[in-house]
This record gives sequence, C-alpha cells and structure tokens, in this order.
Amino acid sequence: MNSISQTKQSKNNFLHRGEPWVWASGAALAFILVMIVLLLGVVVANGLPAFWPKDLIEARLKDGSRVLGEIHRREINGDGVATVQFKVGNRDLLGLDFKWLSQPEIISESRPVDAVVLERREYGNFFGYLQKTDGAKAVFTDAAGRIKEIALIDIIRSYRPNRMNLLDKTGLYATRLVELLWDEPRESNTEGGLFPAIFGTVLMIFLMSILSFPLGVIAGIYLREYAKPGILVTMVRIAVNNLAGIPSIVYGIFGLGFFIYGMGGAIDQLFFPQNLPTPTFGTGGILWASLTLGLLTVPVVIVSTEEALGAIPKGIREASLACGATRYQTLTRLLLPMASPGILTGFILAMARAAGEVAPLMITGVVKLAPTMPIDTSFPFFHLDRKFMHLGFHIYDIGFQSPNVEATKPMVYVTTLLLLLIVVLMTGTAIHLRNTMKKRYTLTDV
Amino acid sequence: MDHKFHITNKRLDSLARWGITIGGCAVIASVLAILLQIVSVTLPLFGSASSEVVGRVSLPKAGEIMLLGLDDSLENGFSLSRQGNVSFFSLKATSNLKAGSQGSPVPLARPEGATKLIDASSDIPGQLSLLWDNGKAAIVRVSFDREEKIVTPRMEELFQDGPSGDGQPTVKVVGRALDQDGFRMVRLLADQRFSVSMVAVKKNVLGEEKQTRHNYMLTPVTTEKISAFVLDLKGERLYAGTESGTIIAWQLDDQNGRLLETTPAFRDRGITALAMVYGSESLAVGDNRGGLTVWSWVRSDPGSQVRKLRQLHTLHGHADPVIAIVPGTAGRSLLSLDSRGEIHVDHATSERNLLTFKAQPSTTIMALSVRDKGLAILNSDGTVTAWRIAMPYAEISLKTLFGKVWYEGYDEPAYVWQSSSANDDFEPKLSITPLIFGTLKGTFYAMLLAIPLALFGALYVSQFATPGLRRIIKPVVEVMASVPSVVIGFLVALWFAPLVEKNILGLLLFLIITPGCFVLFMSLWGLAEQRGLLRNFPQGQEYLLLMPLLLLVAVAAWQLGPLVEKAMFGDFKLWLFGETGMRYDQRNCIIIAFGLGFCVIPIIFSIAEDSLSNIPASLSAAALALGASRWQTAWRVILPSASPGIFAAIMIGFGRAVGETMIVLMATGNTPIMDWSFLNGMRTLSANIAVEIPEAPFKGPLYRVLFLCAVLLFLLTFVLNTGAELIRQHLQKKYGRY
Repeated sequence: MNSISQTKQSKNNFLHRGEPWVWASGAALAFILVMIVLLLGVVVANGLPAFWPKDLIEARLKDGSRVLGEIHRREINGDGVATVQFKVGNRDLLGLDFKWLSQPEIISESRPVDAVVLERREYGNFFGYLQKTDGAKAVFTDAAGRIKEIALIDIIRSYRPNRMNLLDKTGLYATRLVELLWDEPRESNTEGGLFPAIFGTVLMIFLMSILSFPLGVIAGIYLREYAKPGILVTMVRIAVNNLAGIPSIVYGIFGLGFFIYGMGGAIDQLFFPQNLPTPTFGTGGILWASLTLGLLTVPVVIVSTEEALGAIPKGIREASLACGATRYQTLTRLLLPMASPGILTGFILAMARAAGEVAPLMITGVVKLAPTMPIDTSFPFFHLDRKFMHLGFHIYDIGFQSPNVEATKPMVYVTTLLLLLIVVLMTGTAIHLRNTMKKRYTLTDV
Repeated sequence: MDHKFHITNKRLDSLARWGITIGGCAVIASVLAILLQIVSVTLPLFGSASSEVVGRVSLPKAGEIMLLGLDDSLENGFSLSRQGNVSFFSLKATSNLKAGSQGSPVPLARPEGATKLIDASSDIPGQLSLLWDNGKAAIVRVSFDREEKIVTPRMEELFQDGPSGDGQPTVKVVGRALDQDGFRMVRLLADQRFSVSMVAVKKNVLGEEKQTRHNYMLTPVTTEKISAFVLDLKGERLYAGTESGTIIAWQLDDQNGRLLETTPAFRDRGITALAMVYGSESLAVGDNRGGLTVWSWVRSDPGSQVRKLRQLHTLHGHADPVIAIVPGTAGRSLLSLDSRGEIHVDHATSERNLLTFKAQPSTTIMALSVRDKGLAILNSDGTVTAWRIAMPYAEISLKTLFGKVWYEGYDEPAYVWQSSSANDDFEPKLSITPLIFGTLKGTFYAMLLAIPLALFGALYVSQFATPGLRRIIKPVVEVMASVPSVVIGFLVALWFAPLVEKNILGLLLFLIITPGCFVLFMSLWGLAEQRGLLRNFPQGQEYLLLMPLLLLVAVAAWQLGPLVEKAMFGDFKLWLFGETGMRYDQRNCIIIAFGLGFCVIPIIFSIAEDSLSNIPASLSAAALALGASRWQTAWRVILPSASPGIFAAIMIGFGRAVGETMIVLMATGNTPIMDWSFLNGMRTLSANIAVEIPEAPFKGPLYRVLFLCAVLLFLLTFVLNTGAELIRQHLQKKYGRY
C-alpha cells in the first residue's frame, strides 16, 4: 500500500517524469524556429523597404548649417548620445553618402516640399532644390546653398518625395522593382538593376539541367528498376551519397582542373589555336560552371527519382509485365508517368540548390561584371565560353568587395531577398509536389 | 508484322537495360574520376627530382681547369684554365656557337705582369671573381648572346682592383658587381685579415661615370684560421668560417666594416665551405665531417631586436668533407660537393635531398646553370658532363605541408600559411596544418551549437509534438536547409557580427541566463502543475509558449548587456585584452557557430527526425503501457534504438560543416592562425581554396597544394558519408523500412 502511493506520488512528480526535459527539447525547437524567423525577418525587413521612397528631412544644426537627406537610423551611441544617420547623397560634393549627426546638435527638422531627389548615372543620388532648367542642363542647389549643374541626360529619375502621397510612392516603388528586374547594374553594381545576374543564373540553371537531369534519372532508374541488389548496388548508393556530400568547393576545384584546364585547354588547342595564348574555352565560362553544377546536383535527382519509383506499388509493375509488356514498356508507359511528380520534385530541388550555390561558381566562371551576355545577337548567338553574372555571387561581391559598404546595403538586401524568394519558392513547390504525390500513392497502395 | 514488333520491343528493352546499367555505373565512375583527377593534380608535388645527361665534351688540353659555366638553355658552356684562358664548348651535336669562337681558348684580358690565376670563383652564374698572381683582382662577366640561331659568347671585364695596399699577398678573392651602383671586392690576405674595396659608381647628368672608392681592413677577431668566406648578394654582409668551426659575420658599410657576430657554430668540426642561400637571408655551411647546415638570423628573445645567427636546418650530409657549395638561383636549393667527388642537391627549407650524383674520383669542379636547369661536372679524364636537372616542387615535402618548419625571419619553427608576398625572392609558406586546425575549430563550435539544438528539436518533433506540427515543421526545416549559404554568410557577417561586436556581453548574458531562466520557469511550472492549475495545457504545444519566452529573455539580455558592461568592465574588449590577453575579432567563432550552425541544423534535424520517427510505434507503445513517462520512453527506449541513425545524422552534418565554403569565407576573417580562443577567426580548408585559387598559377606549387586541400576535404567527407551510409543501410535491414 505504502509503496503504491509512493509510486503514484513520484509519477505525478513533474521532475521525476522528466517533463523539464520535454520542455527543454521544446525550447530547442523554439530556438530553431526563432532563428529561421529571424533570418527571414531580417532579409524581408531590410530588403522590402529598400526601394520605398523616403521623405527628405532638412535638419538645421546649431552651427547654422543645414543638412538635407533621408534618415536611415536613429541610435544611441557608446557615450549615451542619441545620434541620427543621414543619407546625404551628393557624393560628388560631399565625398561620403552618409553622415552621423548627434541629436543635441539638431535644432529643428523639417520636410521641405520642394526638396528633389535625383537618381543619377554617376555619383549616386542628389538631394537638393531645383533652381532652373536650362536646355539640356538643370541647376540645383544643395542644402548648404552650393550650386550644382547637372546635365539632364545624367538624370534617370527625379521626384519630390515630400509632395508624394501613398499612391505616388507605391507607383515609384513598382517602377523601381521593374527596373530591378530588367535593368543593367550601375555604379559598380550598387545601383540599377539585376538583369544580367538574373539572366546568368537562369541560363546557368538551364544548361545545368540538360546535363544533370538525364544522368540523374537514368542512374535512379538503374538503381531502382534494373540493378540486382548486391555489392554493386551498395557501392553505387555509397557513391551517390558521397557525391551528395562532397563539399561544393571540391566540385569547383575539380571543374577548374578537369573542365577548364583539361577539356577547355584541349578545345582551345584543337579549335581556337589562333587565339592562344589568350584562352577561349580554357578559362572560366558559363558552360564549365553549368557542367560543374550539373555534377553537383546529379545526386539530388538520383535520390528523388529512386524515391518516386520506389513509392509506386509493386502490383502495378507485376500487372504490366503479366500483360506481356517488356520492362522498357513498363518503364516508359507506366512507371515514369506515375513517378513524374516525384522526379519533378528532384528537378526543382536540384535547380534550387544550383541557384543558391556560389563557391564552385567563383572559380569556374562567375564575374562581378560581365560586359557581354552569354546569349546575344552576334553570331553564333550562344556564347558558352563567356563569363556570366550570378545572383549569389552578386551578394558576395557587393557585400564584401565594395568600397562603400553602407551605400551598398539596400542593394545587397534586395538581391538577398530576391535570391531567397526564388530558392524558397522553388523548394516550397517541390515539397508541395512531393506531399501531394505521396498522398496519391499511399491511397492507391493495396 | 506482329513478330517484327515483338523483336523491336525486345531490342529496345535490352538496349534500355544496357544503357541504364551503363548510366548507373557512370555514377560510381564519376565519383572515382573526381577523386582520381584531384589526386592526380597533387601527385607531382611528391615526385622526386630527376636528372639526365645532355652532353659530354672533352676540353682542349689547356692546363688545370679552375671553373666551369653553363648557359641557361644547356646548349653551351665554358671552362676557365689556370693560365687565364676561357674555352667555349657546345653540348649539342651540331654546335650553334658563332663560328670561330669554339675550340681555341680565348685569353682573358690580363693585368700587366700577370701570368696565371691564383684563384677563381663564381657564386653567381656568369660572374667570375678572379685573382691573378701579381695580386690584381678582377670581376669578369661571361654571357651567351642569342641572336636568331647563332649564339655568341661574350666576355667583359667589369672591374679591376690593384693589389692590396700593404703588400700582404692575397689568398682568395670574392667580388660582386651590383646592378647599378658599384662593386664590392673582398680579399682574404695571408695574415688572416680581409681587405674590402667598396666602389660606388654614379652617373652625372652628362652620362659620365664617377667612381668613389673606399678601402678598409677587417682585422680578425680570433686566432683561428679562416677557411671559407662568402659575400651576400648585395655585397653588404661578409661571412667567414674558420677551421675550428666559428662563423664570423660583418656588416660592410661604405666607409668601414662592423663586426656583427662571432658564433662558435661547431666544436668538433671545421667549416670548409660557405654559400648564401637564394634570397640572401640564410647561410649554407659545409664542414669537414661532411655536414651541411643552414643558418639564419633569428631574434635571440621575442622582445628584443637583436638578431643572432642560429642553425635552422640540417641537410642530408656527406660522408666526406664538403669542399664546395653552389647555391641555386631560382630557388632555395643547394649543390654541395665533397672531397670524394659526390655531389648532393638539397633544398634548404624542406631539407629534401633531391639528387645525388655518385662519387667520381677527382671531381673538384661543378657549376649550376642560370635558373637551376642544369649542372656541369668535370670528370677526371678531362671531360665535362652536363646534366639537365628537374627539381619540381623541391620546396614541398610532407614535413613542410604538415609539420613545423623554421622559415627565415621566424623566431622558431612554426606552422605557417602565407602563399604570396610583394617581393620576388619571397619564400611561399604552405603549411596545411593551420587550415586543418581552422576547419576543425570552426566545425567544433558550429557542432557545439547545432547538435543539441537539432537533436533535441528532432526528438521533440518526433516524440512529443502533435502530428499536425510534424507536417508543418518538416517542410519549414527543409526550407531552412535550402537557404543559400551565401545568404547565411552575408547576414551573419554583415548583420549579426557588427551587432554582436557592439554588444558582446548581451549575447554572452543571453547564453548564461537562458538556462537559469529555464530552470526558474520549470520550477514555477512544476509548482503550478502540482497545484493542479495547468491541467488543460495541451501536450505537444510547449514550444509555442517557449518561443515568446525565449524572445523575451533575448531582448532582456540584449538590453542588460551594455548596462552590465558599464557596471563591471567599463569596456569589455579592453578589459578582456588587459586581463587575459585575448583579442576580440569581429568575425569570431561565436559568429561562425551561428552561421555554420544554421546551415547544419536542418541536415542533422531531418535525418535524426527520420530515424526517430521510423522506430516502430510498438516500442514506444509498450514502454508507455508499462508506465514510463513520455520523456522516459523517448530517452531510454526510442533514442537508443535510433542511435545509429542519429550518429549518421551527426556525421553527415559534420561533413557538411567541414566543407561549407561561403559562410566561412564571409564570416571568419580568413586569418590562418592556430589559436583555440573562441573570440578569434580562422581560415578553413574550403575558404582557403576559394581565396587562393584565383591567384594560383596553373600547375604551380600553390595550385597543387590547393588541390591537396581539396583531396583532404574529399577524403574527410568521403569517410564521414560512407560511414553514415553504411549505418543507414544497416538500420534499413534492421527495421525493414525507411
């Protein structure tokens, strides 16, 4: 009796049941979720408003000077003084785009309705007031009253943010988004559009798919439908898993040694000896980068093909064979159509991986600024030897190699958001496809 | 018709079978091909040096030969006889020497009264220091000018110096013609003093040369007999070795010489040969017992600026006394000749014995060609044999790659990775050890964060959470896995790192008070539950309550950070440096732990969750039915059964962390240091490849060493992945489904 009541008590005991450990594991999950939310949140919070037109604030300072610009951040610095970060633009006049002011120095802040923002081809934005237009030129003054003449041809867009209502701003935001997707980059990639990078990424993924998909599907079919279980299959599976696990930089250096110096060098000697020693194919290019990534994504396709085929009930194969179909017929008319959503999942996952991978591309043909596109109107239209731009590398390049870190931030966040959006959308689609497919077959499974 | 159709089908079928089988095997082949390709690039690093005879000529009988020389294409050479005659010879079957210049010896321009040479030496190919029997000395340049296909040998006397002032006969002379601005000439006199001539040549506006000359004497500091001496490349330092094993070094200034150091190098051996190693920072010393050592200037203790000569390397020695050392001009290789006639080629830094030429009786003369491409040896029968030598990657050995090496200018042997520098004679230092260290260090901190989070998270999702949650979490984690590493790296390096730098204490506080708060919260919760207050709290939803709590704690810690810092340390980073000597880098292991951790967590999580969910439900049902609590079931029944799968998950996660490139490239600072401190950065193997390969010349040593880094990464991940896969296949057999 005594012992029973004791067990009962200890069973109720929160500690003894190990409940805190359950909570601890819950906390681990919570931590992971917080990390994901934080990452997405930071990218979205910094990326989305980057193109939103901000109001221009004119601050009058104690020493009588005036500062005109967008307020980017308010912060309390190490000495406990509130400070304001102004984006003052006018790089050609002031040297730096950004200026920190301490709050006590500022007498008043106002929003002058006449203040103009100019987006220019050179020297970043200009903030000031329009004085007069004079044929092909316009004369502006900045906050300090300095006169600046700017040729109209250098101005991409001008607007008065303080006069704009929500609708105008939304319109401007939308135009800028379109510009982002369709324009060339300016000012060493820190302004303008991303079109060459998007184009390069898409074309590279496309070329990669041509290599990776057939090879992956064939290997997957072999493993699931043709191979007899045994040492060979075990080895192939180990090989596939290793292929998936090899660090991407190793693929990159393999691509450099084998594709670029090996195959590229040989092609140059055979077909382009007139250009040597300047390499044609013997240097990084979109073809080699795609082949390298193709190799890298093959295991993803193999694994999903195998899984898709494995999910098809055995009865279907047996029925088909019993009706007199050959294995090949069974494969092409039954199994592959049934497995297609699963295989498609693999394709999409492979493409998502390729879109996000940067390290191997850095050494096989990505550049920060490609003067020409891999496809253009000059013969032979496809220039697979050309170097290209890539969204992921764009992030690395403007985030880390740019001299003006503060000014590049909006662009880096926007690029990051775009890349993240592409990859997450692709992965999401793949996961959705897989889940619906799973339902379909688990229901029909007998 | 029907039959034909059947046959076509059958053919198609077998064709497909073959095609698909070949495709499958191609996958194994491609893994092997990748490995073989990258290994094949690294193999030449460990290749040995080679030599082949390119020619053998007999010299005209013109008396005793004093010197030999070779051109850099190994086609022509010259010899210098005691009588002061130079004869040119061709090593090729059909000579391309200018007609008339071959065969008959050409007498050197000899000073008045001179009949024959007393001494001749050449430690720079083509530059000869000569001492005539009347005491005059000269510097002569011998070169081969190639025009079209004809090679014209040229001799040019650059400098001549009268006999030394005070009538003492000269024993030996070493001269240097400097590129632009003058000559240096050092004579060893019979009374053991050195006579130094410093000649500066200046051109004035009209192009007239004006020589200013200073002569001074260096008096010996020991009574030991000087047996060898050498001048460095710029003629600024003079080293002498004695028969009792002392090295004496002087600094030669324009007006006078200054004794730098007298080092009793050996007690039991006498110095017989000296030479400056390429770069002129180290001294190669040969002794009468056949030893060959390399000495350089090393700070005597870390704080002081005083540098002393120390022995850095001991090379493969000879059996007999070393009589001559010829330094290489393209790298730090050394040719040494012993009294029996055996020649060794060694590398001064890697200490590799590259080549050995078997003893040839009475070989006393040898010469190295410009750029170390060939070697000429005088045989006893008066013939000269020229060898082409190839010493690829002589500076690389297993020891320089993985061990501590004492480089010139370093105070002690160290693991150093420094691949390039501004000056030409810089010695690349390619030790992989700091990179391996960096890789393991980064991975260690990342796994420290990732393993507990991912495993506990997986345990929660698979065992305690509602089935609905599992359907949501799995895709979320998969999306997390798909976040490109460049995005993680960028955020961690440019958003998180500056944030943490501003408030490092906030983060540390968060890590410290979170467990405390958790314990507090649990005890409160336990109390409340015992009172029966929280009976209705749904099991499997705990994490929803914990998320805001976690955020709350994080915000609180973040706000507290600056206050605590001000109250306790003033400036935490200064305090840390003052108290412990630890320097705070903005890109450190904490940053890496979060960055790499974010990339590894979803991988470990997915695999671990799969293996936990695949444990047959009957096991947990049985445990629960026997009265075990849900934690006891999960911890003592499910977890042990799934342990191989969890182990595999950790291994695969480890492999991913080891090979991850972009995150570490962006967030580590890429400094190849070896320091366990978690506030420092590091450089990993993968980031090293990404950083260095764009600048590595094709097939150069750096290029191949980077491939070696790739091989190491490949092998490491191969072992990890193969292990994980074997475990997974074992599991699959055990539980029958996966």
